[in-house]
Amino acid sequence: MHAYANPARFLKIARPLTPVCVGVGLLLVLLGSYVGLFLTPPDYLQGDTVRIMYIHVPAAWLGMGGWTGIAIASIVQLVWRHPLAGVAGRAIAAPGALFTAICLLTGSIWGRPTWGTWWEWDGRMTSMLVLLFLYFGYMALANASDERTTVSRATAIFGIVGAINIPIINRSVVWWNSLHQGPSITLRGSSISSEILWPLLPTVIGFSLLFGGVVLMRMRANLAEAKVEARMRRMAAS
Amino acid sequence: MNHWAFIIAAYGLTALGTAGVLLWSYLDMRRAEKAVADLETRK
Amino acid sequence: MKAKKQRLILALLGLGAVVGAGLLAASGLKTEASFFFAPGDVAGIDLPLGKAVRLGGMVADKSIRHDADGVTIHFVVEDGKAKVPVVFKGIAPDLFKENSGVVAEGEFRADGSFVASNLLAKHDERYMPPELDGKMHKTGSLKS
Repeated sequence: MHAYANPARFLKIARPLTPVCVGVGLLLVLLGSYVGLFLTPPDYLQGDTVRIMYIHVPAAWLGMGGWTGIAIASIVQLVWRHPLAGVAGRAIAAPGALFTAICLLTGSIWGRPTWGTWWEWDGRMTSMLVLLFLYFGYMALANASDERTTVSRATAIFGIVGAINIPIINRSVVWWNSLHQGPSITLRGSSISSEILWPLLPTVIGFSLLFGGVVLMRMRANLAEAKVEARMRRMAAS
Repeated sequence: MNHWAFIIAAYGLTALGTAGVLLWSYLDMRRAEKAVADLETRK
Repeated sequence: MKAKKQRLILALLGLGAVVGAGLLAASGLKTEASFFFAPGDVAGIDLPLGKAVRLGGMVADKSIRHDADGVTIHFVVEDGKAKVPVVFKGIAPDLFKENSGVVAEGEFRADGSFVASNLLAKHDERYMPPELDGKMHKTGSLKS
């Protein structure tokens, strides 16, 4: 567990990993978007608007996956006192919030031509909006303390408590009558025809890699800033 | 209603957001790591 | 080592309590958090008359009828359990079709029919290219 506790050891891995994540991620996103925009067939009912799926689904996954990451980092911080857990949680918050916002916005743009509305207070949409506000709350709490390389205990607890929203988002279309359609991809298979579905794989993996790259870059920036501050303090003291 | 206007808006927004967060994180990281390197050469 | 184990148990207990509370609250909200009534939900109960509600379901096969005035549409919403006749005056969304999902905003009348002031199209979770339509597309229910 503590093998990577040492920031120097973490950086040794993070430095070469960052360009790989960003490079491969960009390549996959561009490839998937190109195929999804120009090569796949339109949907029988929605027509071309179904192409918004190739960015809407990865954004939804990263918005929810990001908070899951924050919750895991919070538990690791509270239980094992791992020195990098707070750094990770802090680094995830901003891109997580961004992709949640992208999910809401692309969903709204998709809803207008298909459902006939920009926004409805449907279970799925409302719970996703709550997730965005949870991110804002987490960021406000994380920035409220002077700590730079970790988050306060209250922030970590907030990260765990907020995780309850994740299964609610996931199940909202099953529990409640909703305007949003039910899950297309389940353990039993997919109800999306494979010709339409497949570009989703490169865009989901690609956006995930980009997300990972952003988290790594933000963790590196954070650790570097902390190092400079510590050095300054020592120089001022001597 | 032209559907492509919606599709372009959705993709454009996503591209803008993703490029923005990548660039911001990169510049932030470069600035911070440069400060560390400067300190190390100065001592 | 012991303190770490204690913290882990505490964290897991806390997580379990939060998840339990959330799930309980969510299932308690079953009707309140629903976006619409399905025809089967209102069959046999007192109709919520004079209140703005939403009615959702499938547009029954061959039920869409346009009045001579060009803006009034009659159709039937069904969910496999019950049927509700709906009248709507206005412009329907592109995806408003027979055998496809719809959510109508409006109110019930005493005779059990529904007057809609706005229509939203609800599509299901299946996506396929046009040539497959008809072969695979046979919608029977609201959810899969």
